[in-house]
Amino acid sequence: MAYRVLIVDDSPAMRSFVRRVMELSGFDLSDCFEAGDGAEAMKLLASEWVDAILTDINMPGMDGEEFLRCLSADDLLRSIPAIVISTDATRNRMDRLTTLGARGYVTKPFLPEDLREVLERTLGDPNV
Amino acid sequence: MDQIIVGMADCRIAEGAGQVLATFALGSCIGLAIYDPQTKVGGLLHYMLPDSTIDPARGKANPYMFADTGIPLLLEQVFGRGAVKRRLVVRAAGGAQMMDRQNVFEIGKRNYLALRKILWKSGILLHAEAVGGVRSRTVRLDTATGKMWLLEGGEQRELVAGASRPGGN
Repeated sequence: MAYRVLIVDDSPAMRSFVRRVMELSGFDLSDCFEAGDGAEAMKLLASEWVDAILTDINMPGMDGEEFLRCLSADDLLRSIPAIVISTDATRNRMDRLTTLGARGYVTKPFLPEDLREVLERTLGDPNV
Repeated sequence: MDQIIVGMADCRIAEGAGQVLATFALGSCIGLAIYDPQTKVGGLLHYMLPDSTIDPARGKANPYMFADTGIPLLLEQVFGRGAVKRRLVVRAAGGAQMMDRQNVFEIGKRNYLALRKILWKSGILLHAEAVGGVRSRTVRLDTATGKMWLLEGGEQRELVAGASRPGGN
């Protein structure tokens, strides 16, 4: 299966790293969209459908929590699996994001294999 | 069943049924095992040091002594036997802190960091690892099944791909 994914992070280097890990994990990316914050991501989602979203939390402009809130408020967008990649791993935050629909959580800094594990748990093993 | 011994600063390739690659006494050295489940081609490298630039002549004479010369050669050999990168199951063991309890040289840690750096540059992720600590390890790779067996502290267990959290211990 070829995936259309959206990576939301204010760091271009992190967006590039996440994309590379997805490719090395065996995910065939037909389209990989990028956004620097939640507002940019919402604008993109108005015209593009994606199969998965990977988002940071602490971003200038619309942060990741607000972005997830916008996704969960939309009947269509709430069905897209969202994975959070953030330095903030407090229990409260993770619980709150889970109630907003986050399906997976990776804490920065992380190894490529950590992200692969969460991707496989959330989206399925691409090599099977 | 033939057991093919991989010595220190050595690398062997095997294929299919009846062959087991084995390397003993991995202390600060690292044993890197790669396996393609479709072609059943497997390779096991036992390298000792991270970087051949400390002694390029030795790196040239015995590339398997170093991570930066040995790992690319291991990959080249399994690809030459028909293995495909995206199918590879990659597991590593070793990188312990041996005979250096004060951790002055940190050879095990440096060997592990070199491994991660070279694999990342090669576009390959690890599937399982047993690294760090202070104990010697022995590993065996069965090329019929792709199973990798780890002997550590007198106990043997399978190093299952995906079951061991990367990051060292």
